[in-house]
Amino acid sequence: MSKEKLQSQAVQTTGHAWDGDLQEYNNPLPRWWVWAFYATIVFAIAYWVYFPAWPIANGFTHGLGKITYTDDKGVRKTTDWNTRSDLMVDLNAHAKLQQPYFEKVEALPFDKIAKDPDLNNFIASAGKPLFADNCAACHQTGGAGKRGFAPNLADDDWLYGGTYEKIQETISGGRHGYMPPFGEALSGEQIAQLASYVLSLSGEQVDASQAEAGKALFHSETATGCYYCHGNDAKGRQVIGAPNLTDKIWLWADVPGAATPQKKLAAVETVIKHGLNKGVMPAWGQRLKPEQIKVLAVYVHELGGGK
Amino acid sequence: MNFNFKHEWIETNVGLMMVITMIVISIGGLVEIVPLFLIKDTVEKVAGVRPYTPLESRGRDIYLREGCYLCHSQMIRPLVEEAVRYGHYSLAAESQYDHPFQWGSKRTGPDLARVGKKYSNEWQVQHLIAPRSMVPESVMPNYPWLLTTPLNTSDLVDRLKALRKVGVPYSLTEAEYQRNVKQFGAKTAEMLHIPDAEKNLVKQAQEGNYDGDRNNITEMDALVAYLQVLGTMVDFSKYDADHFAKFR
Amino acid sequence: MAAVSVTSKEQYNFDVVRQFSVMSLVWGVVGMLAGVYIAAELAWPLLNFDIPYITFGRLRPVHTSGVIFGFGGSALFATSYYVVQRTCQTRLISDALAKFTFWGWQAVIVLAAISYMLGHTQAREYAEMEWPIDILIEVVWLAYMAVFIGTIMRRKQPHIYVANWFYLAFILATALLHTFNNLAVPVSLFSMKSYSLFSGAQDAMVEWWYGHNAVGFFLTAAFLGMMYYFVPKQAGRPIYSYRLSIIHFWALSFLYMWVGTHHLHWTAIPDWTSTLAATFSIMLLLPSWGGMINGIMTLSGARDKLRTDPILRFMAVALSFYGMSTFEGPMMALKSVNALSHYTDWTIAHVHSGALGWVAMITFGSMYHMIPKLWDTKLYSQRLVYWHFWLATIGILLYIIAMWISGITQGLMWRTFDDFGNLKYSFAETVAAVRPFYIMRVIGGLFFFSGMLIMVYNIFRTIRQGAREAVELEAKFAAKLAKAGA
Ligand code: HEC
Ligand code: HEC
Ligand code: HEC
Ligand code: HEM
Ligand code: HEM
Ligand SMILES: [Ca+2]
Ligand SMILES: [Ca+2]
Ligand SMILES: [Cu+2]
Repeated sequence: MSKEKLQSQAVQTTGHAWDGDLQEYNNPLPRWWVWAFYATIVFAIAYWVYFPAWPIANGFTHGLGKITYTDDKGVRKTTDWNTRSDLMVDLNAHAKLQQPYFEKVEALPFDKIAKDPDLNNFIASAGKPLFADNCAACHQTGGAGKRGFAPNLADDDWLYGGTYEKIQETISGGRHGYMPPFGEALSGEQIAQLASYVLSLSGEQVDASQAEAGKALFHSETATGCYYCHGNDAKGRQVIGAPNLTDKIWLWADVPGAATPQKKLAAVETVIKHGLNKGVMPAWGQRLKPEQIKVLAVYVHELGGGK
Repeated sequence: MNFNFKHEWIETNVGLMMVITMIVISIGGLVEIVPLFLIKDTVEKVAGVRPYTPLESRGRDIYLREGCYLCHSQMIRPLVEEAVRYGHYSLAAESQYDHPFQWGSKRTGPDLARVGKKYSNEWQVQHLIAPRSMVPESVMPNYPWLLTTPLNTSDLVDRLKALRKVGVPYSLTEAEYQRNVKQFGAKTAEMLHIPDAEKNLVKQAQEGNYDGDRNNITEMDALVAYLQVLGTMVDFSKYDADHFAKFR
Repeated sequence: MAAVSVTSKEQYNFDVVRQFSVMSLVWGVVGMLAGVYIAAELAWPLLNFDIPYITFGRLRPVHTSGVIFGFGGSALFATSYYVVQRTCQTRLISDALAKFTFWGWQAVIVLAAISYMLGHTQAREYAEMEWPIDILIEVVWLAYMAVFIGTIMRRKQPHIYVANWFYLAFILATALLHTFNNLAVPVSLFSMKSYSLFSGAQDAMVEWWYGHNAVGFFLTAAFLGMMYYFVPKQAGRPIYSYRLSIIHFWALSFLYMWVGTHHLHWTAIPDWTSTLAATFSIMLLLPSWGGMINGIMTLSGARDKLRTDPILRFMAVALSFYGMSTFEGPMMALKSVNALSHYTDWTIAHVHSGALGWVAMITFGSMYHMIPKLWDTKLYSQRLVYWHFWLATIGILLYIIAMWISGITQGLMWRTFDDFGNLKYSFAETVAAVRPFYIMRVIGGLFFFSGMLIMVYNIFRTIRQGAREAVELEAKFAAKLAKAGA
């Protein structure tokens, strides 16, 4: 910077200089800046007047803002403005939108709900996020299930029953499937025989003599008692969630994934040996409202396998 | 404006500048923080909230260690969409024993304030080991080591004692124990008794069987025990929907 | 020119400034590499590799502490020591204490990074360091305070330059915040673990009183100090308005401390605190812009230089992003906007428009100005500065545009109801929806990071060149002396 230039500027600067050439002009505050700053202060004061704002003694200024909403008992209430009362207003509006549908869902029996196209649309809309946020974690998108984890809800095989009522009961109360381990009571050979028999029920290729021996064991009252739970025909008993062993649907034993007959045998043997105690379906009765559970029951029923 | 005239004083005197700066920067904090300790309604009166059991508390330590709070909030806001998705909004009372708070500032994953009992232990374990095996869209890391690392309980008592020092009502003496019996009931009070902490931790881990293996107490046991208690202490069906508005 | 610098070398302690400058670049590389890596982990979770030490939750604090305290902090130490010496025309009051702050601060960052990866954390954002590190920080900070204030007290000039006001406020505020926010009870004398003294709502309030002002004083006020020295220096122009600097300095210092609760809107914190935070945030807008106006108006007096000087461009872009993020911030502090933006990537966009756009860009500009002076040479390459400038600018734009889109997408998807009043999207759908933008952020981050690498190369060559010239100069002197003697 030339000397002349510095001098001409010095008129406007504060007159101090640091580190050689560091100086400050003494320009006034930009007008717009000052007015805009005042405007924000006015805005703030208006806010303080309307909303809860300043702590005083053992409380705070509540502000002039008021909120009117309807409480649980249908009583209109007016309170000072606060976020929680504000939520009540929004919940009121939300309930108003949904109430007609949910009331209908609650009042009508399942078969009538299924025949009402308007309600069906509602259930499709309400069921989707409920299922996706709560159930899909286990039952996967579309209810396809996950072997070793949670059953397919879109097929027509049901552990506990595929009627609307049974599904509703399952969701509300939860389920916990239990099969005792037989690893101690039975020899390895016996378990192999049982597994052969179980596999033969769904048409798998097995050693016929082994299966024959297994069949006897399966129906033996003293040695195993499999038929207590899985039924004489091995088609399962839904009251205790014991599955049908004669279809090709496997939840726990990974028979479809096993490449060789030996591996198939091994998969079933593992189940018999160790039993099953991990099939836990949580109860939703506490978390979801009864009408939401009813919606879900219809939604699950319509996934494809409802009875 | 003549203020810059006066400002000469300050900008030529570093001591004065420091004093004024300290005053200026202290006011905001004083006005906003101190009343939070004094205004009683800041933490709502509500039944059910209790300190974590020894096992849950250790689980919480693991939650902190792994930095779960960087993806998950534990704070349901009073907004309709959150009421519908996550449940009742969180109360200040529900985190009154949380040292530190874990409200979070980012939801890369969903809010966890009420995740307790939502899923089974089996699911939690599987999801923590391999989230994408359960939720294909997930971007959550796998935490397989939780299942293989035995839970370290060697400093359990020290940890609970430290928590007691910062105000969590774990009991050391008989009198404190009796006070807890009164406040939380005998069953909970027993869990909060530091001399029995180790025993109670083992008992809860074995009974709860959180990681699916009763014989080994792993970090997974502790973390799942913690997750399963989140948001379950208050029974909101006992309160009207607008009950907690009066505290704000 | 050279002669002046030779004397200034004796006059000032530049050793510690040089050390901090170099470490600032080193931590910039480390911290931003961690940033790119965690960004990639969110896009491709496989990259967590099931290794505890590098999972997202443990690496993210390495990134935040690395860039804020390592990169930003070292840059602030370097520039504040440089500026305070030059504007007070005196040497640092104690070389030993200054040296201690250097080694102490480096130890803090190294210990913090290692301890996070090992799982030692207080789990409170930006204050994750466990108690022994907190104590070390406290000691280093008090030493820093002593050096800085002691040096100001030795000044040769009655007036304290405005840059030093900002550095001073930053040092005092950080001491105050760090002390109260880290009150905790250790599990035992030999345990890294501690539990914070406060709980729940009060703990949240203390943490965000600190957290916001980590932003307000560490990432803003202090960098304004940097701006107030390097912008007029590089532009060769006086600061635009002394009066504005007074008003906005005091307004900022006062108002900042009130707004922490805007990180807690709609939470279980009482509503009155929220209202105060929202209104004070709005009132912060113009005082913040005061700094931008002073900077931009100073630059605009050197418009012709802007076209040819890439260093000035860094400063101009930094000031623009500063203006933008301090406009965005108050808007996000309004409760209705925050209901949408909170918990989403919008916050992350805002953070990085401030952090990359303002903090990093003003640091780059200042370092390009300062480092050649420290080593008494010229920048190795202006062209590489241009390259850095464009890579950084494009990187920032990619990053923040991606995060704005993904943040608003998340915010809207989380709250969209269909005609029946049912939520339209599941949470998992929102995770899938933002994935493309997570990938876009990785690309933006890579741009920014490669710019950083170019800078490191350029500075490395500059320093080598400076060292070589110093040797040559000495040789010349020696030769001359020998001649004279003969
Ligand atoms: C923690 C995992 C999990 C979650 C979450 C879950 N389920 Fe289940 N569900 C299971 C398991 C496991 C079973 C099988 C129980 C058994 O094996 O006894 C099951 C069984 C069922 C059945 C019975 C299927 C049959 O064949 O009889 C229905 C219906 C069902 N779930 C619906 C739902 C719905 C609706 C939801 C969400 C509200 C849901 N589930 C959430 C794990 C889960
Ligand atoms: C106390 C009742 C009970 C007894 C006794 C019982 N089961 Fe089961 N079994 C079940 C239940 C319940 C399930 C399903 C568990 C679940 O879904 O969580 C099951 C599942 C199975 C499965 C797995 C089916 C699949 O889809 O993967 C096989 C195989 C099986 N049982 C075979 C047997 C054999 C063989 C015996 C006799 C040795 C037997 N069970 C005895 C109740 C029983
Ligand atoms: C990188 C981000 C990230 C980290 C770190 C992370 N999570 Fe997650 N988490 C997610 C995402 C995304 C989801 C949603 C998809 C899913 O269910 O996996 C999720 C879902 C969950 C859920 C299911 C919530 C629900 O209601 O469906 C639980 C429980 C959970 N995480 C616990 C944890 C725990 C405990 C940790 C730490 C040990 C953790 N997460 C760390 C991203 C993360
Ligand atoms: C190469 C450049 C960078 C990349 C790719 C990057 C990436 C990231 C990512 C992925 C996150 C986590 C976001 C999340 O949890 O969703 C993050 C957080 C953060 N980064 Fe960076 N970052 C970069 C540079 C910086 C710089 C230079 C700074 C500061 C000077 C910075 C400050 C922060 C802060 C403060 C957070 C925490 C934000 C919050 O919690 O809201 N980053 N960064
Ligand atoms: C007037 C100025 C500013 C105001 C009022 C402001 C306001 C805000 C608000 C409202 C949030 C979101 C909080 C939330 O919803 O969780 C936020 C987050 C953030 N801002 Fe600013 N901001 C300002 C300037 C800046 C600047 C210049 C930076 C520079 C880096 C910055 C860095 C951050 C960071 C790091 C966060 C994330 C904190 C976290 O959640 O971890 N802000 N700010
Ligand atoms: Ca954050
Ligand atoms: Ca700390
Ligand atoms: Cu803030």
